[in-house]
Amino acid sequence: MKKIYHNLKIFFLFSRYSLRSTLDHRAGVFFFLFGKILRFSFFFFLIFLVFSKNQLLNGYNFTQAIIVFLTFNLIDTATQMVFREVYRFRPLVVSGEFDFILLKPYPVLLRLLFGGFDFLDLVVLFPLCFLFFYFLFQLPSINLFSLIAFFFLLINAFLISTSFHIIVLAMGILFTTVDHAIMIYRDITSFGRFPFDIYRKSLRDFLTFIIPVGVMFSFPPKALFGLLSFQNTIIAFLISLISLFLSLKIWQFALKKYQVGGN
Amino acid sequence: MIKVKNLTKIYQVYYRQNNLIKDIFFRKYKEILALDRLNFSIKENEFVGFIGPNGAGKTTTMKILSGILYPSGGEINVLGFFPFDKKPEFLKQITFVMGQRNQLIWDLSAMDSFLLNKEIYEIDDALFKKNLSDLTSLLNCSSLINKPIKSLSLGERMKMELIAAFLHDPKIIFLDEPTIGLDIFSQEAIRNFLKTYQKEFRKTIILTSHYLEDVNRLAKRLIIINKGKIIYDGSLKNIINLYSKEKTIRLNLEKQPSKDFFKKYSVINYQFPRLILKVKRDQINQIVSQLSDEIEYVDITVEDEPIEEVIKKIIKNNEIREKYD
Amino acid sequence: MNIGKNNQKMINKLEKRCKKNLTIIRTLCILVLVTIKEYFAYRLNFLLWRLRTFLNLLIILFLWEAGLKSSPSLLEKQAFFSYLIYAVTISYLVLGTRTTDIAGEINSGAIVNTLLKPISFFRFYFYKDLADKMINLSFALFEAFLALKIFQIKLLLPQQIVLGVILLANGIMISFFINLLLSFIGFWSREVWGPRFIFFILVSFLSGAYFPLNLLPKIIYLILLLTPFPYLYYLPTKIFLGERFPLFVIFLSFFWFFLTYLITKKIWRLGNKNFSFWGR
Repeated sequence: MKKIYHNLKIFFLFSRYSLRSTLDHRAGVFFFLFGKILRFSFFFFLIFLVFSKNQLLNGYNFTQAIIVFLTFNLIDTATQMVFREVYRFRPLVVSGEFDFILLKPYPVLLRLLFGGFDFLDLVVLFPLCFLFFYFLFQLPSINLFSLIAFFFLLINAFLISTSFHIIVLAMGILFTTVDHAIMIYRDITSFGRFPFDIYRKSLRDFLTFIIPVGVMFSFPPKALFGLLSFQNTIIAFLISLISLFLSLKIWQFALKKYQVGGN
Repeated sequence: MIKVKNLTKIYQVYYRQNNLIKDIFFRKYKEILALDRLNFSIKENEFVGFIGPNGAGKTTTMKILSGILYPSGGEINVLGFFPFDKKPEFLKQITFVMGQRNQLIWDLSAMDSFLLNKEIYEIDDALFKKNLSDLTSLLNCSSLINKPIKSLSLGERMKMELIAAFLHDPKIIFLDEPTIGLDIFSQEAIRNFLKTYQKEFRKTIILTSHYLEDVNRLAKRLIIINKGKIIYDGSLKNIINLYSKEKTIRLNLEKQPSKDFFKKYSVINYQFPRLILKVKRDQINQIVSQLSDEIEYVDITVEDEPIEEVIKKIIKNNEIREKYD
Repeated sequence: MNIGKNNQKMINKLEKRCKKNLTIIRTLCILVLVTIKEYFAYRLNFLLWRLRTFLNLLIILFLWEAGLKSSPSLLEKQAFFSYLIYAVTISYLVLGTRTTDIAGEINSGAIVNTLLKPISFFRFYFYKDLADKMINLSFALFEAFLALKIFQIKLLLPQQIVLGVILLANGIMISFFINLLLSFIGFWSREVWGPRFIFFILVSFLSGAYFPLNLLPKIIYLILLLTPFPYLYYLPTKIFLGERFPLFVIFLSFFWFFLTYLITKKIWRLGNKNFSFWGR
């Protein structure tokens, strides 16, 4: 208990410093927020445009497609907010500063995952939530059960995202020539921006069972629309546990393989 | 405190086969023996200098001892721990300072980083205050701790790094090139600080440096590493007795010596009235008395070989021996 | 005799010019080679980058495949997918650039190394860009081929080739100058990533990589035509697909080319005066 309290205290200090560093670069704050809002509105508009040609998108109506899109943005923004430090990992390895982190008496992995809470994403998260609830109430039928399933599948998505981020960290150690492992993750997850049923079956299966992006982004809204079977819900939780376990193994392996930082 | 038996480290370096598919899927690795069965132990309150050419394995050794790197073989015991486990109780008792590497938060003041370390290392308020004031007064820099790191000079930044690293009162201190890139005044200030700090607080310090002056002034014990092997482990004084076969004699002459004289001795430099000779160590007494008979001089001094020369020789001899082994 | 002398003069002149051209070509070749080598030093990195762009292309194609499912006109579908494939492929030719490094070089002071080279700064980076474009294009063509196979698209053949190529050249130059300008911000500030981030997002939508811009409401489309974005690759793509545009649109492409050129020149001069070695 004392340990958890201690780690939380460190986490809050890190977050406070990260906020102060952010506010030091005011132009950066503006561009970041502006860019995010711009990209969000553009994709929103793109979905609108697609529906201007069509009433249904492989069985999804406009509201449903928007809810898929908003769910994607919620998970995407929340995970960026929490895992922002992962984006800064490679420079740490390249410059050798990673050594200093290894020397500190705190859980190294937690520090690398959560050490850079991003307040700018928090700012983006509020209007997203508002939009989400707005469109949620446009749905003709929602019941409590599907809402609860949605909520737990969101948490599940967060767990899967955690293991993705751990693997990205491990790649940062193992493949020092790759400078955008995190962006590869981002691009793969961007399949989740649109309803999964627009993809071919083989791709869908690959993106669900091999790289569980589908479980992250397509399962929660499906549960919300009452389209997800109970069996698949159980599979979703199993997949997240397996991926978490595997990613931790990979991380431990990477740490042993860590050679020299810098130079 | 530190005990190392047969410590070995093998690096895997992947090399290109100039075939895209092979390079990605069937990588081939070359193994490089970075440390070859090192054995040594370090006691409390020792100040040890690690010396050796680039890539000899000094930093690798320190990184294994501090738990950053995983050893490929051998036994290691530091303060009763296996370093790689990274137990908090272990990490709280050590510190590592690397020259030209920044661990302080760039945009914020040093004090912010100190406060962060206070939490991380769970230093209680009283101790934090005491250590901070001790360190700032020793380094004479209390006016700097509230300025943003990015506004400090390199030397000033190094002082802040040292404070941040020492705040938790570590028992073992690893210093990797702490004076690299600094101007001579900052170098001097840091050397003086380390000397007083070690004396006053009785720490165990392990230091590597390219500047022999650092080691010469600070370390009583010297470990020379070359190509992953320890080739000398002992006191600084001993190294000269053991390895320096020659001494230098400097003379200030009154008269020009005869031509025969030059045939008899190995003259390094002669520019009347100054004469420099090189002499075997064991013949020194005999030759000095001989000289007073043969020539007239105003004064005479006998010097040891400079330590840099001795170490260069040791490393060179070691390499030659390895070749013929 | 006299004629012979004049001829000799002419030949000398021609020889000189040829030599000059040859050195230009040689520098170009060497820069291209160096840039390719730089890429291949990080080939895993590069391949993964191409994988990322390919994934993005796939997502857009899937989206429109579903979106146009109920559309009755086969021809419309064919034209639409041809547009997407052309636009994305051409976009690598237009946007591929190495000028992003310049900002960092200005900040660190390393730009001095480039300035001290006996080659015009602009030409140096333009050659590097050409190399970058060639490498990316060769991969993009392969990816486009894959996409054609996966989605069974029948590609329309290019038309109005001469005009298309001219407008494409305009697009390449406009992109080059804007990219330079974004890096020149480094002369005044360390925060160079922000404007580039915004530019990147704007380009991806407003230049028409996700949909042909004429799908937009008429008034928005017309306003957009006044900005430089459609002239990067939307206009050349449409021209290649045989569409006709009013003359003022063609004129605007040239207008943006000259305007960005003049601004870049001016800012470059100002920046050089302001240059005070931020680097430590």
